[in-house]
Amino acid sequence: MLEIFQYQFMIRAILAGSFVAVLLGWLGTFVIARKMSFMGDGIAHASLAGIALALLLGWAPIPTAVMFAIIIAICIYLLENKTKISTDAAIGIMFTTGMAIGVILLHFYQGYQPELISYLFGNILTINNFDLWSIIITGFIILVLIIFNYNKLVFTTFDREGAYLSGINPWIYDLLLYIITAVSIVLSIKLVGIVLVSALLITPSAFARLYTKSFKSFTVLAVLISVLIVVLGLILSYYLDLPSGATIILTGTSLFLLGYIFKFLKK
Amino acid sequence: MDNIISVKNLTYKFDNYEALDCVSFDVKTGEIVSVIGPNGSGKTTLIKNIIGVYKPTSGIIKIKGEEPKKSRSIIGYVPQRFDFDRSIPISVYEFMGLEKCGKKKHGCVNIKESLKQVGLVDVEKKSLGSLSGGQFQRMMIARSLLHEKEILIFDEPSTGIDIAGEQTVYDLIVKINKERGTTCVMVSHELNIVSKYSNRVLCLNKKKICYGAPETVINSKNLKDLYGISAGLYHSH
Repeated sequence: MLEIFQYQFMIRAILAGSFVAVLLGWLGTFVIARKMSFMGDGIAHASLAGIALALLLGWAPIPTAVMFAIIIAICIYLLENKTKISTDAAIGIMFTTGMAIGVILLHFYQGYQPELISYLFGNILTINNFDLWSIIITGFIILVLIIFNYNKLVFTTFDREGAYLSGINPWIYDLLLYIITAVSIVLSIKLVGIVLVSALLITPSAFARLYTKSFKSFTVLAVLISVLIVVLGLILSYYLDLPSGATIILTGTSLFLLGYIFKFLKK
Repeated sequence: MDNIISVKNLTYKFDNYEALDCVSFDVKTGEIVSVIGPNGSGKTTLIKNIIGVYKPTSGIIKIKGEEPKKSRSIIGYVPQRFDFDRSIPISVYEFMGLEKCGKKKHGCVNIKESLKQVGLVDVEKKSLGSLSGGQFQRMMIARSLLHEKEILIFDEPSTGIDIAGEQTVYDLIVKINKERGTTCVMVSHELNIVSKYSNRVLCLNKKKICYGAPETVINSKNLKDLYGISAGLYHSH
């Protein structure tokens, strides 16, 4: 069992994975409560444009994708709030636009690009020390932002008009949530890939919802399950020699199904 | 008594659709004012302008002499529908404690006491989604009691509630009004309730049809103008 910790890449993957699991597990509770499950998918796919631009220009892919994801999140917010477009339609527009820009940019890239596959489906071997520190530092800033704005984020999630009447400007917290969710999703791309990352945002909360009655316990359980899914998924992928991203997601789905069946039988 | 709410020549448009046309009325401190009118007559639009969620296309609204945005903290609002996923776990205690009182959060004792005042006992640990329609409305009223709001606005408080629950909610509104002097504005379709409990009634159909004491306003002619049908109040003898 300890053999797994002999490899630097596994230690980096487990550390980075645990950090993004805390972020996505926590943010997922807001995403689920606000009925924005499509957001994770949309941001992740749209960030292909940022990664493609970075690969083309020789820039660092993750920081470029983070900047691009912030722009995408602001565009989704503006489309949703300044036009009559619904949230899912706004995400749909930005999702496909980002993908299309990414495909066009990659068209200009000469030769085979093996790294691109790792961004699409995740590859823990590609997580280097720079990625690890990027995830830890950016993730820490996001955690501080969530902690200091937690009450207002919950208030605007459950009762926008009540929050407004209490003196809060809900739009500030909507935009904050969009941006930190977008950044967290991009930080997880090397772990599980663009195609699968949204599951890490949704599955832990879907599981936690089955067993909790308060938002506090819902959040704690979602974060714990999220970390469990990522660490267990990484260990399984190592011993079964399977792709890490897909194994993590299937571990999450299996835990959710077990949780659902157990809850059903308990009734 | 002073006017706590003053609405002058309020017009509100959704793009080119005029939802409210030059509506003017005042609400005095401590009154219960009801707003009646057919579906699509602009009742909820009026309420959202008063609380400051919508910005008037033209006209002026003053709450205690100030713009709604500045004085919004004295208003408690109980919406017609509460759009949240009932399967998301949040306890009654957590929900009621979301609005901070100064720099402090509300303690469990305050929340329990507030719930008790509206007839809800031992519900603070329950999930919000497990409350019935009537319990939910009473919990929302309890939340506004916590903050001692000067104005309470109810948008169809009896929507989705059975007759017993409906009576409880309206009795509670009257009790708060009498005991605390809270000004209450409520949108309602229940003409008998409106007639029984309100100091004044605003008949609205995009424009102000009439405004005054229920006994002078709720009559066959005005109801015909308002709803386009012959209607009246039920009087038991």
